[in-house]
Amino acid sequence: MALLSTVLALRRDPRILKVPPYLSLLCILGGIAWLLVLPLNEYSRSTYVSENALLPGQVHTYFTGSEHNIFRAYRHEVASQVEKSPQERNNHLGDILRSNNLRVATQNYEYHASGRNISNQNVYAVLQGPRADATEAIVLIAAWNNMAGEINHSGVALVLTLARYFKRWSLWSKDIIFLISGDSTSGPQAWVDAYHDSHSPDNVESLSIKSGALQGAVAVDYPAGPWGHRYDKLHIVYDGVNGQLPNLDLFNTAVNIASGQMGIGCTLQRMWKHDDKYQDRLTTMLRGMISQGLGHASGPHSSFIPYHVDAITLQTVGDGWHDEMSLGRTVESLFRSLNNLLEHFHQSFFFYLLMQANRFVSIGTYLPSAMVIAVNFSITSIALWVASGRSTSMPKLASPSKSPKDKKENPPTTVVRRNGDISIVPTAAIEITERPLFLPLAFVLSTHFLGLLPLYIFNNTPKPSLFLAYSLAMSMTSVLPFLTAALLHILRGPTEQETTLIQCFSLLFLGMFLAALATLNFSLSFLVGIAASPLSFVRGLYPAPKGEVEGFATRNRGAISVVGSLLLAALNPVIVIKVATLYWGIDVVDILVKAAEGWHVWGLWTQVVVWLAWWPAWFAGSVVMWSGLFT
Amino acid sequence: MLSFLALLLFNAFIASASASSDYSEHLLLRPLPQKALLASFNFRSNESSTAFEQQNFRYFPRSLGQILQHAGTKELHLRFSLGRWDAENWGQRPWNGAREGGTGVELWAWVEAQNEEEAFARWLTLTNALSGLFCASLNFIDATKTIRPVMSFPPEGDHQNPSQLHLLHGTLPHEVVCTENLTPFLKLLPCKGKAGISSLLDGHKLFDASWQTMAVDVRPVCEEDGECTLETEQTVDMVLDIDRSKRPRDNPIPRPLPIEEIECDTSKGYSAQDTCYPIHKTSEPAFSLSGIYGRSLKGACPLTDESSENSYTVCINTPPERIIHVNTTGQYAESTSENHAMRCYKLPVGADFDLVLPEQQMTTRLVLAQPPLYAARHINGHGQEHGSVQAVITNPSSTDAVEFVYLESLPWFMKPYIHTLQARVNSSPENPIRETYYRPAVDRQRGTHLELRMVIPAASTLTLTYDFEKAILRYTEYPPDANRGFDAAPAIIRLISPESLDKKGIYLRTTSLLLPLPTPDFSMPYNVIILTSTVIALGFGNIFNLLVRRFVGADEVQGMGPGGLKGIIRGKVERLKARFLTKKKTA
Amino acid sequence: MLIDRQKALLFAAAAAVRLLLFTAFPSLPSLLAGRVEVSTPVTSFKRLQEGLFLYTHDVSPYDGGVYHQAPLLLPLFSLLPNTSYYPFATNLVYIAVDLLGANALMQIAESGQSATTRLFKSSRNDLRWSSVAIGAGFLFNPFTVATCIARSTSALANLFILMAMAKASQGASITFVFALSIAAYLSMHPLLLFPPLLILCYDARATRSRQAPNAFTFTAIYALGLVVSLGSLLYISSVLTSSWEFLASTYGVRLLLPDLTPNVGLWWYFFTEMFDSFREFFLGVFWVHVASYMPGLTIRLRKQPLFVATTLTGIFAIFTPYPSIADAALYLSLVPLFRHLFPLMRYTFLASSTILYASFLGPAFYYLWIYAGSGNANFFYAITLVWSLGLSVVVGDSLYAALRDELDVERPELRGKEVKRI
Repeated sequence: MALLSTVLALRRDPRILKVPPYLSLLCILGGIAWLLVLPLNEYSRSTYVSENALLPGQVHTYFTGSEHNIFRAYRHEVASQVEKSPQERNNHLGDILRSNNLRVATQNYEYHASGRNISNQNVYAVLQGPRADATEAIVLIAAWNNMAGEINHSGVALVLTLARYFKRWSLWSKDIIFLISGDSTSGPQAWVDAYHDSHSPDNVESLSIKSGALQGAVAVDYPAGPWGHRYDKLHIVYDGVNGQLPNLDLFNTAVNIASGQMGIGCTLQRMWKHDDKYQDRLTTMLRGMISQGLGHASGPHSSFIPYHVDAITLQTVGDGWHDEMSLGRTVESLFRSLNNLLEHFHQSFFFYLLMQANRFVSIGTYLPSAMVIAVNFSITSIALWVASGRSTSMPKLASPSKSPKDKKENPPTTVVRRNGDISIVPTAAIEITERPLFLPLAFVLSTHFLGLLPLYIFNNTPKPSLFLAYSLAMSMTSVLPFLTAALLHILRGPTEQETTLIQCFSLLFLGMFLAALATLNFSLSFLVGIAASPLSFVRGLYPAPKGEVEGFATRNRGAISVVGSLLLAALNPVIVIKVATLYWGIDVVDILVKAAEGWHVWGLWTQVVVWLAWWPAWFAGSVVMWSGLFT
Repeated sequence: MLSFLALLLFNAFIASASASSDYSEHLLLRPLPQKALLASFNFRSNESSTAFEQQNFRYFPRSLGQILQHAGTKELHLRFSLGRWDAENWGQRPWNGAREGGTGVELWAWVEAQNEEEAFARWLTLTNALSGLFCASLNFIDATKTIRPVMSFPPEGDHQNPSQLHLLHGTLPHEVVCTENLTPFLKLLPCKGKAGISSLLDGHKLFDASWQTMAVDVRPVCEEDGECTLETEQTVDMVLDIDRSKRPRDNPIPRPLPIEEIECDTSKGYSAQDTCYPIHKTSEPAFSLSGIYGRSLKGACPLTDESSENSYTVCINTPPERIIHVNTTGQYAESTSENHAMRCYKLPVGADFDLVLPEQQMTTRLVLAQPPLYAARHINGHGQEHGSVQAVITNPSSTDAVEFVYLESLPWFMKPYIHTLQARVNSSPENPIRETYYRPAVDRQRGTHLELRMVIPAASTLTLTYDFEKAILRYTEYPPDANRGFDAAPAIIRLISPESLDKKGIYLRTTSLLLPLPTPDFSMPYNVIILTSTVIALGFGNIFNLLVRRFVGADEVQGMGPGGLKGIIRGKVERLKARFLTKKKTA
Repeated sequence: MLIDRQKALLFAAAAAVRLLLFTAFPSLPSLLAGRVEVSTPVTSFKRLQEGLFLYTHDVSPYDGGVYHQAPLLLPLFSLLPNTSYYPFATNLVYIAVDLLGANALMQIAESGQSATTRLFKSSRNDLRWSSVAIGAGFLFNPFTVATCIARSTSALANLFILMAMAKASQGASITFVFALSIAAYLSMHPLLLFPPLLILCYDARATRSRQAPNAFTFTAIYALGLVVSLGSLLYISSVLTSSWEFLASTYGVRLLLPDLTPNVGLWWYFFTEMFDSFREFFLGVFWVHVASYMPGLTIRLRKQPLFVATTLTGIFAIFTPYPSIADAALYLSLVPLFRHLFPLMRYTFLASSTILYASFLGPAFYYLWIYAGSGNANFFYAITLVWSLGLSVVVGDSLYAALRDELDVERPELRGKEVKRI
């Protein structure tokens, strides 16, 4: 701290205040550059299984022969249920499971989100492991409808067949739960909530049969119809709700078994074609980051991950020569590995970016990129804090530097010390360090609370009026900064110092939120950080204090403020989201509906970040920018 | 009620028989639904207590006897259990659950001692000796795993001086029962598994069962005339999956059957050469003793007395229509109970004996006795901070209420909040809890002990919940597989009314729980010590640095030069020096 | 009377906020009571409820590992209706506790002992905030609010510490001793506040009466008074629980740290990872370390006893075995009393942003460790380090400012010059 004191003694050095903008620019560019080099071999590592107990692909798999015939029969059975109601359907599926001496139960659920009514039924069966004592369980999931809304014919049939096949083995040291969920996102959520008894009984029915603590979950998504369809690759989906990821060991085991033992190629993040070039790796990584940043449920497995149950979805893609049996054997081998597990998954990484089925970067390598971007805001806010302390005292500082003779011959750096001296003279001291904190703090806090309004509206508006609400929000938020700035000016023109402090605090909060967020959901923090990075160059432009030459910026500050504000308006979160949806050709209403469903069903937090961290920062920034116009 | 009666008869005549003869053994076979087979072995030997005192053991195993005498143990109950009893499909538990234990190892004993301390000391000697005898880590039953139940375990035997008897009870839920426990168990038998029904007991088959429990019970039984005998009862109950057990040992892998051997449902529209909807067989599967046990029954144990009806050793409980072929070279006798649901066989001596049941489509099937209660227990909530335990107990009987004692014995690092304990019955608003006994845990000294006497009205479900908090342990207190979590012992339920016909009582147990605890980073001790000390040193150094030195003007200090960049740098150096000096002082 | 109206307004607002939080979010109290940052094993309200339950059912609450709080709380809270069904009364009690605390704090502020004592008059003593502002700083401090909502018993301890300070600064001797002894009885370490507060009381008395009372007899009398009142409290407790075992499971737990539940302090992880053979040694060292600040500060800053007491509360918030944000709240709301030192403090922004960062990242990392399972204990541990560092920066910096302030009085010619420590 003694060291710090000397550093801080320099804080009133006029040169110091020139540095931060360049420094934060450097931070931003550094963050981006850091991310861009990650796909290189030097920075990424090839994956490995670090939990020795898993022994992926070490067992011989026997899921062949007559099982295939039975599978086909079950697939027809599934196809025969397509038209039926969930209850009838699940009765039939339940009978098939029951005929294999499993304990079967069903669960109804009904959610309401954005005026829609999501209701369906799950059916599940518990295989009591002969070697198990009901303390641990692993889950095999097939959703009736996959994420694309197709009927998961072969997936469900495969689960039925595997249930019949697994029952014959005596080596299971964990219970196995076969879950056929009504849909891909809400069904598993309802089930896993009820399993941990953290559900609201009026939406979700409690489970009548339970087993031990869940150790892992694997979902199969194979929508091939009753006459089958040979696939080319396995698409492994691993993103959880709110960007939480399963333990890397599970992913590695799946890849290892599929590609190593069964010879099935693995792909991720919809990179159907991936020939291990820099571009492909980068795109994979970026797609991964976007899907993580959105934090939406990407498959039936997603709902399990927040409960610390590591889960993945195996999805068949393309036209190839692999048939359902090879998928079945993959699942069999995967379950044998999970069955070997002595401890809960903990060895390998929980924070990682994958750029190929067998290449990844771990948190230690990538976190800095998000952190420096978050830090750039903090740097700017510190600079602004110092500046705010300095600004009013500028004229006073001018005077003593050309007083008594004896100090004339000192080298120029002594100005530092002298300024230090001056600053502690009580009268000056009070005026200098006295910062009017009330208005800035009140303003920044209220902007953050203001964010609650759109959050509530978008989570509770019925679907038909969502588009209207969104357009309204877009126009409102675009003009609001201007109005607020004008209003502030009319009520009590905030001094330069106050505007600086407003900006300072809002950036401080933003930096803090992003730093905290970077540990929970790296990608979201990074994306928001990039989108908000221009804010750290926003200043309220004020006429220069008397006795100083007007710089270019100060002379035509009006024009600059207007231009800057208009540029800033393009970074309005609402606009940014709209642009993004246009770019990917998605309807923004769908996004909002998904978000609302996420909020009510999966406990999605992305919109909270948008409305309570990103938007307020942008709002405060553009108010500050506009305020330049009124000086 | 066919079989239920039969079962009662069976138990009854074993009970009656036991007193008279000195050694007897019985095997009850009962095919259960879903291709399961219940086999319950029972070995019983008596020793007059006088002979026992003089250490002349006839049938009573000497090794065990000496341990009991040394530890002043009057009554002993030891259980090794594996798997779960599926009450929905298999009905009432054998021996009404009185001869089974919770998952792992369970031990309780009546120890004679002047005071609690002495009792506990003897208890420790007992556990250590038994762990040596049975190759189980019973010696890990220490103070934190020992409780003194008050309502759950009344003495089974007849004791002279009950005042000086202390009941102690301990469990090891995580203990894995396996063949190394079976071998010493068989060694205790007079025929040592060479002859008699014990010759069937084979580790591989026994521990491949869906559910199995081994029990050793020693209790004094006194006649009215006051002369007492010490009764040893060894029990092995198991439920075998017939398909699984029939697999030959050299080829245990359940490969998919050739398609020819699978019956397909041709009525299905899509049925074709390559598409087969398997028909769910309703017929009773075929099995034979030698088939499912992988070895043959080597005739009767010569020590069982020939005369009494007690010598009808092997009994099988099936509907009368079930065909049973007896397959032996020696000569045997068969007796059937009056309702023909129970067929008993007197084993030939010195010749193999086998029962063969062909596959058969049955018209009648056994009515399995309905268990008096169903119980399930789970942990709710997630995260490693706190959670809540939920026990769901159902009374299926439509006529009479059930009164029972619910016993929880929890490890100390699982801290229940008894004020959050709630018991609700879905049928009535009144509180089902009649009586509570609670002894809270003390960190690292003893575990929680909770006993509740409760009543469930007819045809209703009782839900019992309480919150608990998970403690974080010292890093030396975690086992090697810390991230698996810790096991919490099963809850034990003893029925008070309807009360049982014999002194054994009616029991059932829930499954054990897995309790994941928060874990520290085991690789960190040095770093933690260093970092924490650094922070403390910084605070301490900073403050005392200010306290012990005095201020002077910067320009009064010699050798600081005219300041400027040079001065600042030198100042830094000086400060660094100063800082390290104080640090040394503090560290 | 303007001040009184403001005061009434302030108290009304504070009470309203708390009532709103209590009623609008009925699940909030139990949620906060479960947070390790807010309630520790020795202050948790849930454990208090458990103790009450056992107490009302005639089981000794101290024959168990859950309840580690003072025995007299049991009859006190058993008077209130059962909190799990009728929480309102308890909530009111806690709101009242906060208001009383604020009242005491404002009394301290009005006494003006912070800037002007008998032997010392700061050159900046004209620079101060109004008592209402300081009271507001206490009542609307989010940490204080969280403590109140979580109904942690450290709110009570804080109240009595504040009362002791207030009474001492007014020279009200009896109440001062009594309040301090209750504070010490509730959470032991406030005992260390006795010497500085005694000096404070002495100064207050001396300024009020013409001639200063004899220091020695004064000390002797008050020490005796403290011993008597503490002893009587303990005796009553022993009669109440009809045994002395409560000593082991209240103060024993604070001394020996058997319960390693995480908190914002430095002790828990240190002793989780500590080798068993060194445990006792380091327990001793840590306690000596905590105690060592008291004499040093009291001697060096003999002229500003109130500041010593304040700094000590800061020390408690960092270095005691079971600190919570309640202790930090107490310290942080006492610091504004020394408004006149702010111009001399150097790291205000640094320290405050450190504390802010820590209070945001702390819950996030705790979530990662305990619920998400994706982070391990080191995450939360790191944050507790940062938090403690931030607080110790504030403590050290304010201490520097105070010394500098004294220096300005002793040697006016150095005023405003760069100074060195030698």
